Amino acid sequence: MTPLTVTHSPLGLPARVTRIGGVVRRDFAALRRSPIRMFEIVFWPTIELLVWGFVTVFLQSQQVPFVVAFLIGAVLLWQVLQKASNEISIAFLEDIWSRNLLNVQVSPLSTVEYVIGLILFSFGKVVFAIAVMAGLALAFYGFGVTSFGAGLVPFMALLLVMGWSLGLVGISAVLRFGENAQVIAWSLVFVVQPLAGIFYPVDVLPEPLQAVAAFLPATHVFTGMRTVLDGGAVPWGELAWAAVLAAGYLAATLGVFAWTLRYARSHGKLSRFGE
Amino acid sequence: MTILEATALAKRFGAVTAVHEVSLDVGAGEIIGLLGPNGAGKSTTLHMLLGLITPDSGSIRMFGLDLERHRIEVLSRINFAASYVDLPGVLQVREVLDVFARLYGVRDPKARVGELVELLDLGPLRKRKVMELSSGQRTRVQLAKALVNEPSLLILDEPTANLDPDAGDRIRSLLVRVARENGRAMLITSHNMQEVERMCDRIHFMSAGRIVASGSAAELTDVYSADSLEEVFLKVARARPEVARP
Repeated sequence: MTPLTVTHSPLGLPARVTRIGGVVRRDFAALRRSPIRMFEIVFWPTIELLVWGFVTVFLQSQQVPFVVAFLIGAVLLWQVLQKASNEISIAFLEDIWSRNLLNVQVSPLSTVEYVIGLILFSFGKVVFAIAVMAGLALAFYGFGVTSFGAGLVPFMALLLVMGWSLGLVGISAVLRFGENAQVIAWSLVFVVQPLAGIFYPVDVLPEPLQAVAAFLPATHVFTGMRTVLDGGAVPWGELAWAAVLAAGYLAATLGVFAWTLRYARSHGKLSRFGE
Repeated sequence: MTILEATALAKRFGAVTAVHEVSLDVGAGEIIGLLGPNGAGKSTTLHMLLGLITPDSGSIRMFGLDLERHRIEVLSRINFAASYVDLPGVLQVREVLDVFARLYGVRDPKARVGELVELLDLGPLRKRKVMELSSGQRTRVQLAKALVNEPSLLILDEPTANLDPDAGDRIRSLLVRVARENGRAMLITSHNMQEVERMCDRIHFMSAGRIVASGSAAELTDVYSADSLEEVFLKVARARPEVARP
């Protein structure tokens, strides 16, 4: 092979970092040029925060204890999970909507680099949205995220990882079943909502569902959140188990994504996204 | 020097054989045309060469490397444009080029974008969103994107299909200039026979998934006792065997 001049050596670290930067740059530029998308980042979370906030105000007036912290805390952390999942799916789907997917897929961007780029950008958007919501929660309801204590970072990190896993499953579904499967990308995270005990303890679930819930990292995060807000210590043991689950799910969904991409190439499905 | 060597490529989709035992090669600086009626297997062949479709059998080597095993190295040195592929509409032209410069690992994206803007006369369009451009302008941006990594091989699937004759002619001139000045090889599909005749050094005719004729435009018209490449096309297309459709 003759040496390349205009580009970095394709397998070297500078090339990989540059390619990942390309994914982030693309998503950032698309966001910057679309005021509606920027508005949407905080619109829905804010609406949800306000609705649940007013519910807590009402329940508080009925002398229901701890309800403000529990519900507002749950809304904030639920948004981490939901946005992590949806943002990674949106970044991928935008390539399909703009008929740009083939351009990306014929570039030297590897699957891992692509996923890292999607994850980095979704991380930035989630952090921004949560920062705005946290400010509103403090201003409107006097709830500070410092109430999560030392659990704040692990709670958010575990939900981010789980959200990314769900997002990758959604993307894989679109690659496997076609554009119509994007409904899976949007709705998958809502399957988790009733099971993970976000707004109530999992004890209220029927026993078979409790068994399922035990294998969701989010369940342990929200249980831990209630423990901390109730004045208890961060349940590190439970969070460690959640971390094992989250890492396992992320590894598995990366495997599913890579397999689906191979399947799509083998069955000509990638080409059809260009039609 | 051979840049691309595809040997006995085959691809089936269910009961349909899209590509059957196709072999072709492209030398440095050559412009090769891949012609044939709709459904002949041209795009499937190109997509296999780009790694978008995995062949059922056969091999693809570019720059002496196997595409399957050296995907990143190979894709770093080729590029692609097609009439049915678009660029992110909300991005400005300069942003699109910058993004693709990064996706191809370009060392200095800003400088490279500047060079491409000058080469393709995109200066007045730099700050316009892709969605606001005409078909001809978009095609120019697509070509700029396709040149972002200074590819040794450009794969172009009907690049002028959506253009009026004037815009098409400008793009053809540009492509020929880029190929001749920089020694870039091109593999191009088109339904415009004049375009192919004007641009291509060699031509492969495909029909029902097979290459049924190869040669220069002059050789093909001679072999088929035709007055023009268009007549050759019609003879090839009308002689093709019936293909089962899914």
